[in-house]
Amino acid sequence: MKLLCVDSEPVYREIISLCAESVGAQVKSVECFDEAIHAFYDYAPDIVILDVIIKGGSGIDLVKKMKAMAGNRFVPIIFLASQTSDAVMGNCFRCGADDFIPKPFSEILFNIRLKTHMRHVELIKEMYRKNKALTYYQTMIEREHEMAHHVLNHIQTRSERNSEYVAITRLSAASFNGDLALVKTRSDGARLAFVGDFTGHGLPASIGALPVMQAFFDAVDDLLDIGKLAERINRILISVLPDYMFCAGYLVLLYPNGKILYWGGGMPNAFIRRSGGKLDQLRSNHMPLGILPAREFDAGLQSDQLDESDTLVIMSDGVLELKNISEEMLGNDRVEAIINSSYAEKSLITAQRTAEKKLAEYQGESIQLDDITLLALRRTCLN
Amino acid sequence: MSISVTVNEEENLVTIHIIGSFDFSLFNEFREAYSSLPKTYKSYVVDMSMVEYLDSAALGMLLSMRNAIELESDIRLEGANDFIKNILMISRFDKRFDIQ
Repeated sequence: MKLLCVDSEPVYREIISLCAESVGAQVKSVECFDEAIHAFYDYAPDIVILDVIIKGGSGIDLVKKMKAMAGNRFVPIIFLASQTSDAVMGNCFRCGADDFIPKPFSEILFNIRLKTHMRHVELIKEMYRKNKALTYYQTMIEREHEMAHHVLNHIQTRSERNSEYVAITRLSAASFNGDLALVKTRSDGARLAFVGDFTGHGLPASIGALPVMQAFFDAVDDLLDIGKLAERINRILISVLPDYMFCAGYLVLLYPNGKILYWGGGMPNAFIRRSGGKLDQLRSNHMPLGILPAREFDAGLQSDQLDESDTLVIMSDGVLELKNISEEMLGNDRVEAIINSSYAEKSLITAQRTAEKKLAEYQGESIQLDDITLLALRRTCLN
Repeated sequence: MSISVTVNEEENLVTIHIIGSFDFSLFNEFREAYSSLPKTYKSYVVDMSMVEYLDSAALGMLLSMRNAIELESDIRLEGANDFIKNILMISRFDKRFDIQ
């Protein structure tokens, strides 16, 4: 730690140097105003000790100059002077000084106060270092999140466009979590859908999404059985992701005659809103994808039937955990009410918009913490 | 601290207590809690009675623990509130853990 001592009396310069060196500071002493200005510039001290009266100028002016030169750098400036009237001391502090020690001084007390100031300088330096490191990491993470958004949005563009049979809503949270929703109609007219929710945030989540997307579109082309597709995705994720990452998801195949086959793992219940207003639940009864080794993986499917004007609604847990302004989660009951009223609407596009509006109304001004995905499917009219 | 560990040599049991939000911020600390012990114990308990919220990253951390500890040792997840128990059951963690 470097200390600059500005005093016109050689005796004081010597005593101050001895004291400061005894507490581990490196000292440079000067005797006049101009030397002090030069030393402040060349020597770049961490602490300055000065008298009120200096050869070639006033201590008050010197402090003002030094504080201006220091800019954002924290350099404590301590007056050591024999003029101890309230008016002088007040003046010293007003011009920017950090402390005032009256002459003559006790060496013990001087050392204690000097050490306190040295400790403050260390703390501020440490704070600057940490702040710099944090700013660096924050910038890096923001860029990674941007990158992840970019990758997932690219994947998403390959999914089928919204229509009267397919409606996908994705709302990304500020701290991006990695939801994925894909729908594609196969050559036999059956529609394949995948709604996935990756663990983790940002880039790691999107890394798993890329091979899953590939497997999904291959399965559409090859008319692959969805149990086999579930097995395949599980195997891919086991090999690509570390053991603490996985993907909860539903795989659904909707045939033109309304028959539904589905596999679900780690997802909240999905719903079928019957045209009469009844709400049936689809349960995901497996572990999420990417956890169980192939020999333990259960590709068991469940089935249901979607009649005309029925709506299948799948959502990620971000919907259930959506919070309103008083930190209350949306929860199952309110979700059911929203689905029931929104999808009573004849047009699926209008219904989806209504559901989105109701979610936004519930959320109000509160911050969305998790990604939200809402997928609605209706069967294609046969005629 | 959000995580504390107590070892009961007599019962061959380790208890990991978690307080507050069980999420990604505890990643290293949680791993440390079971991997820094000098030997493997017969039973492990993750005490969640003081956990208010659990996210999917925490589920991943539990799976990682299950993989790191020999299969002969059992891991009990204790004291979860209804909200957390529901998350554990949706992901079928009963297949890998003893949930109480």
